[in-house]
Amino acid sequence: MSEIVFEGVTRRFPLPRGGEFLAIDRIDLRIEEREFVAIVGPSGCGKTTLMRMAAGLDFPTDGRVLVGGKEVTGPGPERAVVFQQFALLPWKTVRENIGFGLMCKRTPKAEADAAIARYVELMGLSGHEDSFPHQLSGGMQQRVAIARAYVMQPAALLMDEPFGALDAQTRIVMQEELVRLARRNPRTVIFITHAVDEAIYLADRVVVMGRNPGRIIETIDIRPLREDGGWEAMPIEEVMDTPAFTHMRSRIWKLLKAREQERPAAPAPIPATVPAK
Amino acid sequence: MPTEARSSGWGFAVPRRAVVGLATVGGALLLWWLATSGLRLLNPLRLPSPQEVWAAFSQISTGQGYGGATLWQHALHSLWLVAKGFAVAVATGIPLGLLMGWSRRAEALINPIFLLLRPIPALAWIPLAIVWFGLGDTGKVFVIWLTAFVPSVINAFTGVRGVDPVLIAAARTQGASTAQVIRHVVVPGAMPMIFTGLRLSLQASWTTLVAAELVGAFFGLGRVLNVAGQDIFPGMILVGMAAVAACGAATTWLLGRAERRVVNWRPAV
Repeated sequence: MSEIVFEGVTRRFPLPRGGEFLAIDRIDLRIEEREFVAIVGPSGCGKTTLMRMAAGLDFPTDGRVLVGGKEVTGPGPERAVVFQQFALLPWKTVRENIGFGLMCKRTPKAEADAAIARYVELMGLSGHEDSFPHQLSGGMQQRVAIARAYVMQPAALLMDEPFGALDAQTRIVMQEELVRLARRNPRTVIFITHAVDEAIYLADRVVVMGRNPGRIIETIDIRPLREDGGWEAMPIEEVMDTPAFTHMRSRIWKLLKAREQERPAAPAPIPATVPAK
Repeated sequence: MPTEARSSGWGFAVPRRAVVGLATVGGALLLWWLATSGLRLLNPLRLPSPQEVWAAFSQISTGQGYGGATLWQHALHSLWLVAKGFAVAVATGIPLGLLMGWSRRAEALINPIFLLLRPIPALAWIPLAIVWFGLGDTGKVFVIWLTAFVPSVINAFTGVRGVDPVLIAAARTQGASTAQVIRHVVVPGAMPMIFTGLRLSLQASWTTLVAAELVGAFFGLGRVLNVAGQDIFPGMILVGMAAVAACGAATTWLLGRAERRVVNWRPAV
């Protein structure tokens, strides 16, 4: 079981000059096993903090985060994280980076090599096994990071704007590949993004968040649209042109915009010490 | 970083630079010869001619040598002392710097003592080292250790603090233990900075060694300089200076080779 449950999760950060910043205010969210949930929202809405709490890299001030029924007390290989900045070890080759988690849990070499080879192939990294990260493009580096996450056979995958640092074309290719990978290899996924298109295209459900304080505005089920529209069989650019898709995009945009106009005056006091990113 | 480190895409530029460099050195040698021997503009007791330096070099290189040993024996002796002091400094300074970088508690504990000792120049320790250990090798290894220790600690410490926290977080999410994080993330991440510290340490070690040998020694390049000064033998002084420079350059080159081997993952600068 690997459902992810946020129960009344609140996170406050102490501000450098005293006082506190309420980053997340009493969030309840349940992500079912093998469900792909995208979280969209403006910067400062606490979406990355939410993901970090599921990863065990940050902890709620109040409330609980449970993965598979167990409270999260720290990071673990059953919850793989893909970071926006790729976070590959620059001194390890592609092969060593993908195999790092396997090495940490002392997987026998033959078994590890087979698993690495499989994901090298699946992510289109053949021929780059012995390259160092700096020798690869951003898109290729993020492929390595995704392969590194999948090779651990994690119960949950936590992705923090994984395509945020990529150029537009690479981004589209990676989105299609991620959909292909997610269908073949379903996992419980939290996908953080501020790109509404990306969220609708990838996710089963989209969670829309607002800021000051960070909270959930609405949760929208995308599955009926995808199934009725036959998105699975269509290339990404056609999916994004369908009326159902554009309609959904406007709906989410309006949700985000309405919340911003509700509280126009106060800009988000983002503390300099937020340990996110 | 020197620009000649660029190795690609320069076409003829690299050989031309070498030619210009050689011409400059050749020109300087010619000027030196003209000023001392050719036109006799300078008093040979102030600046000896190239021939006199060569004669001094021949004298110290063969037979009885000078100052109690041949040039090779002096140089080997100095090299050996630097190697010992430097090795002890590396073996103690880097682990301490890593520890202070990793553990705030260790830093809080050790840093005050370190801040107290750090402003004392290593050379100021020489008299105390002589009182404690005499004029033999132990005292010199001790002051070289003190010299090289400080930059080793500081750079290992700074290197650890400079490791991207996202890399540590990423390793942890892949199930790395603290020992695995240190071995595979923190130490390699600090390595470029550590080598910067080692380069500083090495240069400072030579300075300290020469100073310590000038104060008193039975062998070594510093002793050659000291005796030649007392004998008012400018040719030999220049030979000693050149030998110190050559030894320093050789050890720096070796360190550079080691760095390229250890930090083999970085894009070429």
